[in-house]
Amino acid sequence: MSSIARPITDDDLHAYIDEQLDPTRMGEVAAHLRASTEDAAKVSAYRDQRDMLRAAFADIAAEPIPAYLNPHAIRQDIVSRRNMWRMAAAIVLAFGIGGGGGWSMHAQLAPQPRTITLLAEEAVANHVVYTADKRRPTELGAEQRDDLARWVSNRIQHQVAPPDLALAGYRYMGGRLAATDSGPAGMFMYQNDAGLRLTVFVRPVADKTNRPQEIVGVGAMEGCAWIDRGIGYTVVAALPSAELKRVATEIAGRTPAG
Amino acid sequence: MSKVETCVPALRRYAIALLRDRDQADDLVHDCLVNAISKLHTRRDDADMRAWLFAILHNLFISQRRRLKIKPDTMELNDATSNFASHPAPQDERLHWRDMLRGLDHLPEDQRSVLLLVGVEDLSYAETATVLGVPIGTVMSRLARARERLRQYTENGIPAPPRRVQ
Repeated sequence: MSSIARPITDDDLHAYIDEQLDPTRMGEVAAHLRASTEDAAKVSAYRDQRDMLRAAFADIAAEPIPAYLNPHAIRQDIVSRRNMWRMAAAIVLAFGIGGGGGWSMHAQLAPQPRTITLLAEEAVANHVVYTADKRRPTELGAEQRDDLARWVSNRIQHQVAPPDLALAGYRYMGGRLAATDSGPAGMFMYQNDAGLRLTVFVRPVADKTNRPQEIVGVGAMEGCAWIDRGIGYTVVAALPSAELKRVATEIAGRTPAG
Repeated sequence: MSKVETCVPALRRYAIALLRDRDQADDLVHDCLVNAISKLHTRRDDADMRAWLFAILHNLFISQRRRLKIKPDTMELNDATSNFASHPAPQDERLHWRDMLRGLDHLPEDQRSVLLLVGVEDLSYAETATVLGVPIGTVMSRLARARERLRQYTENGIPAPPRRVQ
């Protein structure tokens, strides 16, 4: 047996089995096992035991996962449920609708596990909260457009910028970083000459499939949502569906790639 | 999210191995996922996702245990083990395998967790320490005791305390 600086302990034997030692120590233990039949037998027995335990439970990990344990389904369920409450609360606050009004929303907002629906719900929730704010509807104003574009782009890790909607009759006011259950999002706010506020909500989506523009009713509000190259867009304003769609088309037609 | 997804089979396996009841285990995994996904946005990176998920699962398991006041030693044996008691398997290998599961059931719960996390789930000692909220030294001593106890059980058939066997 070669001279070994540190004696081999029981802990070393276990850590050797589990490959938790640094390469030098692994080598030292291996050398020790060649010399000690007693410890070699122990290691071999523990190893057999571990392999058998693994084999005993191996099949379970190969089974198909029950549908209700699908993390995406669980997330959508959580988001829908949260948004329902958040929105009910927001609308009650913003418009002073009484308890009854809040409760009637409950039924309308049954969970719908679709990305387009989630996008619209998130966008409407943020729209309702922030457009109602008279003093500070945005975090960075129109003069800090580039700063906001950089900030939001960094946070959502996609290049985005507030679209110019002047031709459609909407003046850019500013925007902010918003929160969703799927991570950060950007919200850009506009106003027309009549003082009507419109928001454009953007966030990356997991499902990269492009989706055409769709009007989604969220409570008393509507949003027009679509997915283009991995980014979900939603336009929200208290406008007729056709008008929302017109603005959405304006944005979709001019959104640069990536 | 994709990292969470890849961990689900292992979480299920651990839960089933711990509880030995599939429905209860799947419920536990569901609670764990709801809990984890609700808090997912608070995490900065995915580096220790697996240990984080196992820790949530384990904490839920412990609090559930406490709430239900089920002690491991009064748990019913699962079907596979009970069948073994009345119909011994013909093959040595199979017999040994059943013995192993029986032995596992007889380990104190803290030792069983370590043995499963390290031996079956292949967590490092450090990750296991995180999951269980104990120092690494404790993980190692529990692991050594678990392995030795299980070896004694399977090799010498050290009699187990009386259990409910159908």
